Amino acid sequence: MWTWLESLPLVWAKVAGTIFFLLVMLWALLRPREYVFRGAPDRKAWRDLRLWAAVVLLVQIILYIEF
Amino acid sequence: MIEGIDLFIVLFFITGVFLVGIYFKRFIRTSEDFFLAGRKLAWWIVAMSIIGTNIGSYDYVGGAGAAYSVGIAQANFEWLGAIPAMVISALLFVPYYWRAGVYTVPEYLGRRYNQGVRTIEAALWGLFLIACLSIFFYASGKMIEQYVGWDLWIGITVTAVVVGIYTVTGGLTAVAMTDVVQLAVMLVGGVAFAVIGFDAVGGWDGLVSKVTAEHPTHFDLFLPMDHPDYPWLGMVLGLGLVLSPAWWCCHQAIIQRTLGAKSEWDAKAGMLGAAFLKTLVPLLYVLPGLFVVALCTEQLGTKDDALPWAIRNMLPVGLAGLVFAAFIAAIFSSVDSTLNSAVTIWTRDIYQRFIVRKAPDRHYLHFGRWLTVGFVLIAAPLAPLTKEFGIYKAMQMALTIFQGATLGTVLLGVLWARSTRWGGLTGLVGGVALSVLLTVAGVNFLYVAWWSFLASLAINVVVSLATKAEPLSKLRGLVYGLVMEDGEVQDALEERAKGGK
Repeated sequence: MWTWLESLPLVWAKVAGTIFFLLVMLWALLRPREYVFRGAPDRKAWRDLRLWAAVVLLVQIILYIEF
Repeated sequence: MIEGIDLFIVLFFITGVFLVGIYFKRFIRTSEDFFLAGRKLAWWIVAMSIIGTNIGSYDYVGGAGAAYSVGIAQANFEWLGAIPAMVISALLFVPYYWRAGVYTVPEYLGRRYNQGVRTIEAALWGLFLIACLSIFFYASGKMIEQYVGWDLWIGITVTAVVVGIYTVTGGLTAVAMTDVVQLAVMLVGGVAFAVIGFDAVGGWDGLVSKVTAEHPTHFDLFLPMDHPDYPWLGMVLGLGLVLSPAWWCCHQAIIQRTLGAKSEWDAKAGMLGAAFLKTLVPLLYVLPGLFVVALCTEQLGTKDDALPWAIRNMLPVGLAGLVFAAFIAAIFSSVDSTLNSAVTIWTRDIYQRFIVRKAPDRHYLHFGRWLTVGFVLIAAPLAPLTKEFGIYKAMQMALTIFQGATLGTVLLGVLWARSTRWGGLTGLVGGVALSVLLTVAGVNFLYVAWWSFLASLAINVVVSLATKAEPLSKLRGLVYGLVMEDGEVQDALEERAKGGK
């Protein structure tokens, strides 16, 4: 079923993985501000969960590019 | 075999966890306190409890063995196979579960679709979690037998008594707080292991050169398509897109911690905080597996002998006890969470739904406690059978069989208002049926998950479009894109939550 994929260089796996992480990061960053802060005791920058998501995914992108 | 100061450290740890657990009995007055920690958990407790629940003893032994065998590709289960799904769970699924005021994922599906979907999901998860409990008891007894030298039954009994007592008395609060202690011990043990290992192999460069000398792909996260266990496409499609989201968005033991959060923000932040911790998990077992590749010159019997070799040959007195305490922590945190979640599903979705519908709250609290005792008394004696009948493998298979269909059903339930009760029911049943067929046909489990997920989505869409749409009044607050922050909607959700409907 995946015969044609077997001939692709392994670098395409890295490309696919990185695109996957980037798409999830983009989706997270596009969440409305009200939505991510709902229930928070204040609106300090460190409570912005979009930033949490971006940082944790950025670490993944670095790991997958490196290895 | 550990002894002396190492054994003292292990016994000190077990006693400490027990005392921490029973301390929280004083906070349990209602069934909500018992099942959801009174919805008072801060985000960092949720985060640590999620990871404590997620790491089991097999992650240590089997994970280190797999890292010894295939290298850091094993870390895909912690990174690609977890982090994106945890972000999606935190920012898409968790807010809907939390606002709905439900106790279980099947309960959410019952409100979104109908009670048939709820019952099927509850039965699948309820049986699966009890089977898991037996497996965890066996793993604990076996580990204690191997490292401490106690008889298998003594190890199982110690685990059942210690974990059983604090779970019965303190409910989710005790489970979550002991998870915090247990994860801290695991991380300290992992860091200590890493320091000693890097010292022995000559730092990072020494590790890489020693390992890649004979195993050139051991530092590759992706392996070729013809790899028998971890083909990269299967990793991306099966693990990254289906199995992992199904685990992190739909697994009762994982989601239940977020449902106990004190606010919607804490629930979401708890899951994202867990994603940060998850990034560190390969430190606990992938790294030790690689240390063994670099240092071990003898032929190991099986790959699962890698970690015991590392403990015997790398760790000084005192540290071996700490690392073994980390193993015990991993197994205790999995046992207590599975026990509490199984009891929650059986009480909320089966007992309260079909047997005793309208009793005072204390009735369900007492029932939950007695059921906890009952599950311990059932699962512990059955533990040795898990090896005899290959139940561990069956459990993995069962998980694959219903996870893809579950994800498809939950995903359309949250995202698509047009999805109907009949769409949800047929999509769930059809997806599970296809999984069974593919598994019997011998298809790799990663692809089974992928195709059953797609089948579940397709059946749900087709049947939903062919059946009458659900009234919007039923869906408000439960589906993405409909009103969420309206006070009237929230009041209605909370009213339905009180009734357990």
